[in-house]
Amino acid sequence: MRSFIAFMKKECLESVRTGRLIILMLLFVLFGIMNPAIAKLTPWIMEMFADTMAESGLIITDVQVDAMTSWTQFFKNIPLALIAFVLICSDTFTREYKSGTLLLVLTKGLARFQVVLGKSALLFSLWTLGYWLCFAITYGYNAYFWDNKATGNLFPAALSWWLFGMWVICLVILFSVLLRNNTEVMLCTAAAVLLAYLLSFLPKVNAYTPAALMGAVSLLGSPGMQENLNTAITLQKPVIITVATCVICLAASIPVMNKKQL
Amino acid sequence: MDVLTIRQLSKRFGNKEVLRGLDLTVPEHSIYGFIGRNGAGKTTTMKAILGLLKPDSGEILCLGEKVCYGQTHTNRHIGYLPDVPEYYSYMTPLEYLKFCGEVCGMGKADILARSNELLALVGLGQDNRRIRGFSRGMKQRLGIAQALLLRPRLLICDEPTSALDPAGRKEILDILLAAKEQTTILFSTHILADVERICTEAAFLSGGRIVMQGTIAELKSRRASDGYILETLREQDARALMNKSSTLRLTEQNTLVFHGGENEYFSILQYIAENRIPIQRIERIEPTLESLFLEVTK
Repeated sequence: MRSFIAFMKKECLESVRTGRLIILMLLFVLFGIMNPAIAKLTPWIMEMFADTMAESGLIITDVQVDAMTSWTQFFKNIPLALIAFVLICSDTFTREYKSGTLLLVLTKGLARFQVVLGKSALLFSLWTLGYWLCFAITYGYNAYFWDNKATGNLFPAALSWWLFGMWVICLVILFSVLLRNNTEVMLCTAAAVLLAYLLSFLPKVNAYTPAALMGAVSLLGSPGMQENLNTAITLQKPVIITVATCVICLAASIPVMNKKQL
Repeated sequence: MDVLTIRQLSKRFGNKEVLRGLDLTVPEHSIYGFIGRNGAGKTTTMKAILGLLKPDSGEILCLGEKVCYGQTHTNRHIGYLPDVPEYYSYMTPLEYLKFCGEVCGMGKADILARSNELLALVGLGQDNRRIRGFSRGMKQRLGIAQALLLRPRLLICDEPTSALDPAGRKEILDILLAAKEQTTILFSTHILADVERICTEAAFLSGGRIVMQGTIAELKSRRASDGYILETLREQDARALMNKSSTLRLTEQNTLVFHGGENEYFSILQYIAENRIPIQRIERIEPTLESLFLEVTK
């Protein structure tokens, strides 16, 4: 346990001193502010373009924005944040293979599974911290400008997207122990996500693929609607499948790492 | 007692057979020179000892325990210095050693005392800079400190002096000599002067096998002599001697070098005695590791 804590401390120090933590947090704060800002600016932007649009036959009447508009923005922007997160963090293993820094620590007797768990724990923490920071900022602005209560199923929808992010991170970890090169890791992760996404178009498979979590925005609506409740129930299966694949990815990563040639 | 025993180790990379049944025994408290040309398989052997590489066949025992590939327990006895050591460059040397100590489960007070002692030994005691700005020599010295941190029974150094300037080389060799008190050192190199300076024993690796091993004195005595230097008092005598035997070569005005068999040598001495040639000196050329190395790795 002590060596795991030491390795975690090193991972934290690394994200602070290499500036990774600051960059990620700035990114999430920026996204958090952007969602309500875009919603707030929409009527103004529309007004600016009203004349041009009127010429082409589109007449803009009174544009109504509320918390729902801002939350829709949140779910539109969070995929970009996840992509940026993967781009910034996916080299956590491959960087160490390439430089050979892991070699010295492993020859000192640090168990390889602790490397996998330590790095996973840091990635999970960074994603969780950043994601909920972004959520909290949007939530705060929305509460100030409008009213969050009008948006039903907000937390289940937000949890779904957070879980989808965790699933993508688990893929990054599995591919990181299987492969040596960061580009390969990113390509394989993207391919796996794309595959899950394409599978979600098949009606029979749709109810099971983790990509169904990406459609969480459809959960949003007026509170207490029976339809929303039904959607929440249909998400149960993808959630179970996602959690299961996360556990499988992590569990598979350890024996692969134990036999990896460094 | 033997710290390390390797039996019939073989490893092939694609078509290239790097190790072909390598046998090696490293006794305790020795500085063991592991000598071979570039690409002879020195690093491959060392990585196999550390469980970082899977051998095709053979077995490695470290203090009687079998080394397994991947996660291996034998590494707790071993300190390792790779040829180009890389560290977390955002740490200071003390932070790095502390991290290593904590990872290995050492006590807090012990880590601090040991780190300071080792940093003083390698001459980095006063350095609070981050490792990012370190020169190659400094990285090698820190490498020895981190390798010795756990008081390993075996210290493995992969070409620790190959990329250093003469001053840096001397520093590393001095540190290794000082470390001899604490541990056994297996040290790969192709710089034979380093081996002659600090090693007590050595092995020559060639063609994937150990072609010769033993103490430095034993190795040198394998070759009785590399020849003789013969210096006559007068120049014309040297010329006359050279015409007498084809194995003599003139190197200076009245100095000849002899490389040849015993009979030839005595017949030359007989010729000198018969013709009463005044001799300045006759000197045996001491066999060097270099000549031995070139001969056995041919």
